[in-house]
Amino acid sequence: MLSVKDLHVSYGNIVALRGVSLEVAEGEIVAVIGPNGAGKSTLLLTIAGVVRAKQGEVRLGDAPILGIAPELLAARGVALVPEGRHIFGSLTVAENIALGATTRRDRAAIAADIERALDMFPILRERYRQRAGKLSGGEQQMLAIARALLARPKLLLLDEPSLGLAPLIVRQVYDAIFALKRQGMTVLIVEQSVHRAVAAADRTYVVNSGQIAMSGRSSELHGTAAFDAAYFGMGAEKGVR
Amino acid sequence: MIFLQNAIDAISLGAVYALAALGIGLIFSIMRLINFAHGELIMVGGFVLYGLAGQPYLVMGLASILVVAILALGMERIAFRPLRKASPATLLIASFAVSYLLQHVVLMVFGARPMGVDFLAQFGDSVELGVLRVPKLQFAAIIVTIVSLVCLALFFRRSRIGVEMRAAAEDFTMARLLGVRANRVIAVAFVISGVLASMVSLYLVAQTGSVSYKMGVNMVLIAFVASVIGGMGSLTGAALGGFLVGIVSVSLQAYLPVDLRPYRDAFVFLAFIAFLLWRPQGLMTRRADMERV
Repeated sequence: MLSVKDLHVSYGNIVALRGVSLEVAEGEIVAVIGPNGAGKSTLLLTIAGVVRAKQGEVRLGDAPILGIAPELLAARGVALVPEGRHIFGSLTVAENIALGATTRRDRAAIAADIERALDMFPILRERYRQRAGKLSGGEQQMLAIARALLARPKLLLLDEPSLGLAPLIVRQVYDAIFALKRQGMTVLIVEQSVHRAVAAADRTYVVNSGQIAMSGRSSELHGTAAFDAAYFGMGAEKGVR
Repeated sequence: MIFLQNAIDAISLGAVYALAALGIGLIFSIMRLINFAHGELIMVGGFVLYGLAGQPYLVMGLASILVVAILALGMERIAFRPLRKASPATLLIASFAVSYLLQHVVLMVFGARPMGVDFLAQFGDSVELGVLRVPKLQFAAIIVTIVSLVCLALFFRRSRIGVEMRAAAEDFTMARLLGVRANRVIAVAFVISGVLASMVSLYLVAQTGSVSYKMGVNMVLIAFVASVIGGMGSLTGAALGGFLVGIVSVSLQAYLPVDLRPYRDAFVFLAFIAFLLWRPQGLMTRRADMERV
């Protein structure tokens, strides 16, 4: 489904990604974890077309997508839930959700999908006519995910879905991610919080200093000494892969 | 009674300023561009009326709206689209360049002297309401502005592209990530801005009966001030700012001592400097816009 090869990204003189390669198969949930500043968000923003890469290749299916504008990528089925949610605070919850379906024209199916999203996050049904800026952080995160699902994405990119949320809300958000997994959705999650992301993901990549320090099946990686070393920045120096 | 007369004058002048400020505010809210060439859209609208003088007023008015809307679209396509990723300062300088270019093209073709145009001359007649005498043009300005504001509000709330434009005004990158087409949203914003500019030119030409290559300069400055007062990035704020500037201008004209009235504009701008010292973000603004402004 998604193939990233030798991706290099810089912000001026600051190198954010140094030759990152990863694969996400159809129906798979893949986690990219790493400490703050490792380059995780840059990876997602580059895949979504917001940040330009210096070098490398990104393919969705067989098609190269690097350098394509975000709105065209959205039409091809890439949906990003960015860090910080980025909901439209002055618009209502209903308008925010409907904007998720911007690239679609099938009205009846859109209405059904809105109902499904509201069933997944019942609190949004209660807040449906309210301004999104009035929602709590957790409700905004649910809204951001619901909005992304309205696009019926082929590939869902989740950037730090648990960041800044209370533990109870994090559990609700991850319950939704588990539900997406059962539906067979392809998801790439970026997280600092290791445990939940690794529990949800089929496979995990550890990123440190803009490089993949380690990768493998989540169940085999988590809790190993090599995993901890990679996460805390010693893996890359030792050549752990 | 004098107060009521002044109030009508203030609201009608504010209505025109509100239309001009909305044109500036709409483009800023989406592109972070303060388009000083908006004044030249107003000016070109006036010259279309001049060029079609003698035709039925409806033809003159519709042609002016159409030409200015197309010019606004062309301005975006040729001057601003290639600079879309440039800094706001670069965009601002580009807007000055477009402004001077258009002014000097018209200066070369038509010369510097104002030229008379017969457009809605009978709207200069006054309607007697008891002791009040209200020019028809003032009524027309108030009604046209109210209808335009209602239409714009419905457009932004009810239409798909309108909601997309509100989303883009709040967070352009996120809107694009959802599939909102940047080119389409910006093009529609420029067309609406052009239509608003042409409505201001219809008012100005009907009021003064003349056109000149600098006729939009003063109006765009006032519109800019009004949109800053209202809160850059807020369309409601831009409209309110326009009305406020109109009300303050007419009030000062009416109530300043006679000797000071020639300096009215200095007092108007002094009042708004004091206002901005008190509330630099303007009447209404979003937190996200405060940093940008």
